[in-house]
Amino acid sequence: MTVEVTRKVSFGGRLLVRLAGFACLTLDSMPLQAQETAEYFKRNCANCHTIGGGRLVGPDLKNVGQRKDKEWLTRFLLNPKAVMDSGDAYAGRLFQDSRGVLMPTAPDISAERADNLLVLIEAESKLERSQFAGALTAIPDRPFTEQEMEHGRLLFVGLKPLANGGAACLSCHSVQGASILGGGQLGPDLTAVWNKLQGRKGLAAWLSSPPTPTMQPVYKNHPLDSQEILELVAYLESAKDERETSSVARFNFFLLGLAGTAGGFVLFDFVWRRRFRAVRRDLVHAGEESEDT
Amino acid sequence: MNVRSQIAMVFHLDKCIGCHTCSIACKNVWTDRKGTEYMWWNNVETKPGTGFPTQWENQDKYNGGWVTFQEKLELRSTSKTKTVFNIFHNPHQPSMDDYYEPWTYDYQHLFNAPEGNDQPTAIPLSLVTGKPMETIEAGPNWDDDLGGSPVYAANDPNLKNLPEDQRDQLFAIERLVYFYFPRICNHCLNPSCVAACPSGALYKRGEDGIVLVDQQRCRAWRACVAACPYKKVFYNWFTGKSEKCILCFPRLETGQAPACFHSCVGRIRYLGVLLYDAERIEEVAKRPDIELIDAHRAMILDPHDPEVIAAARTNGISDGVIESAQKSPVYQFVKVWKLALPPHIEYRTLPMLFYVPPLSPVMARRDGDTVDHVSDNLFHDIDESRVPMQFLANLFGAGHEGKVRYALAKQKAVRLYRRAVTVGDITMAMAERALREADCTVDEAEEIYRLTSLCTFDDRFVIPPAQREQAIEMMKDPHEHRQGAGFGFLTGPRRGL
Repeated sequence: MTVEVTRKVSFGGRLLVRLAGFACLTLDSMPLQAQETAEYFKRNCANCHTIGGGRLVGPDLKNVGQRKDKEWLTRFLLNPKAVMDSGDAYAGRLFQDSRGVLMPTAPDISAERADNLLVLIEAESKLERSQFAGALTAIPDRPFTEQEMEHGRLLFVGLKPLANGGAACLSCHSVQGASILGGGQLGPDLTAVWNKLQGRKGLAAWLSSPPTPTMQPVYKNHPLDSQEILELVAYLESAKDERETSSVARFNFFLLGLAGTAGGFVLFDFVWRRRFRAVRRDLVHAGEESEDT
Repeated sequence: MNVRSQIAMVFHLDKCIGCHTCSIACKNVWTDRKGTEYMWWNNVETKPGTGFPTQWENQDKYNGGWVTFQEKLELRSTSKTKTVFNIFHNPHQPSMDDYYEPWTYDYQHLFNAPEGNDQPTAIPLSLVTGKPMETIEAGPNWDDDLGGSPVYAANDPNLKNLPEDQRDQLFAIERLVYFYFPRICNHCLNPSCVAACPSGALYKRGEDGIVLVDQQRCRAWRACVAACPYKKVFYNWFTGKSEKCILCFPRLETGQAPACFHSCVGRIRYLGVLLYDAERIEEVAKRPDIELIDAHRAMILDPHDPEVIAAARTNGISDGVIESAQKSPVYQFVKVWKLALPPHIEYRTLPMLFYVPPLSPVMARRDGDTVDHVSDNLFHDIDESRVPMQFLANLFGAGHEGKVRYALAKQKAVRLYRRAVTVGDITMAMAERALREADCTVDEAEEIYRLTSLCTFDDRFVIPPAQREQAIEMMKDPHEHRQGAGFGFLTGPRRGL
């Protein structure tokens, strides 16, 4: 008797929990998705774009839906390079405005996500002050100190390690005057990056979450902290007027490599100097010499 | 006991007349192809002399063979670590000059030369470059019959440890002496060439111990060339593969003696099966120099011993092979009579080609105008031999004279005995005393005499049945195989282009 009662009670309890869970799911689903999209925007878009905060590297996205129709925007979001390559005039203008920085294709972008992003931008545009109105990292407008610039240089060349264990910039990039041997050749020369990314704000936004497919996986788990961003921006700003690595320097580097190779060969030649040993000729020469004496 | 069979060889140096017929037979059969011109799988050297390639016995230069290092056997030339560091350059290779630059002659020039004041000559042409050669500096037997001995014979590595006076006497004109030393691959029990190959291209055939290079697997590392202390693996510069003596296995498999054996004018070559205990190879190869010859002999098993026969059968050695081993002339020379000795066993490859050391001519002395024998006895004391005992010991005794002296004394005693029998100017009592001193009986002396002097083709070459049909049977019906093969193709011809 008692057993049966408990079973009934427990059955009814489970049903209740299920119903409640279903209700929650349907009720919370919209805000959940919006939250996820906002998070995505923060990680992948906010480093170049604001909504109502003026342009960084890319244009301010406030009311972007009024500038271009949804179909074009979706197409551009899905593959900026393809639109650019198709000779689209508007895309060409955007490219010029951002001084030759092409928008990278955002990771995991899909038609659905593009839709969500456009919805998010539209919603945020209507607000008095959007949560994306300012840059992610606040950079002061005051002139940088000598110390900040020097710290930035040390961070750049890797003499001072990055707090979260990221790879030093020098691994892939070079800046004129950063170190004697220049720097990495994998990524672009960063001497003029300050100009290219249109100043402090753009640069800081970029550094707070590098969006390119190459850099993103490298720094995803090792983000820079705000102090490091400040110092790197200070350094890159101080370097902005240097000339980019000239062809003479590149040629010197090539010559250095050539000399190193030659030196290596000389070293090998010395280490393995016994590799050619004539046996018979030596005997004949020794025989001739003893005959002469 | 892990009994295996090996086709082994004996060369009786006292019978070699240095005619090079063996070399020519081998050359014509195997190494007349492009890229092999310089190779001599079989060559005949004059001793003292530097041989082919020049000074091959000088392992300080060529780094062949094994050494014992901290209770372990190690190759002198290479190791896993050394292979990594020498990946772009394999050191210790003999250069072309150490062999010789092979050449031919422009015979057409004898007929086509324009008229001139001099007779036309056949200009030597390099077989490597095809261009005329200004001077021919060396050949495969450049020091034949002591040619150029101040350079070559004087630098024989076997002259080491010889007292200065013995060394000088060796080159005094009245006592000038040399003997021939024909060489082929020793088909060693512990082959360093096989051990050195990074590609695993070299292998020792299970059924008869012939060491071969798999031409498909060879990757031209040439580690085998450096590792072989006898310098009997050669690099074919045209095919980019290493090659070596194959003991004419296609001939052996059809019951014929190898070409060099078959053609030997002096009948110095013997061939037969030896059964040996493969379990003991490493242990034997690690012994100190002085024990090597005895240990090597002890590894060779008595084919009449029922225990050995049973163990051989469990290892799949057929009765035909065991029977062949029981008749093996090599077993007699090496194990029973102890006349034949391995060359340079101190390289620790445990060669399976044995040499009966030569009794050299009588010592002579010049006294005014007369040349006199030092010894009153025609069969001189072996220690008064013109070839110093130490020299032979360096070649065949790992530097120790004991085994060489034993073999020479026995040979001398057999000669004395036969002299007593046939000529009679030596008393039988004296001959028998000599036999006793040489650890030999009358019966044994008769047998040695028969196998040395009266040996027939079948006495010298006891070739085991190769039983290829059994090998074929494992893959294919032998009758079917017989109908589909044997037309000179490795893969049969097909209709069409």
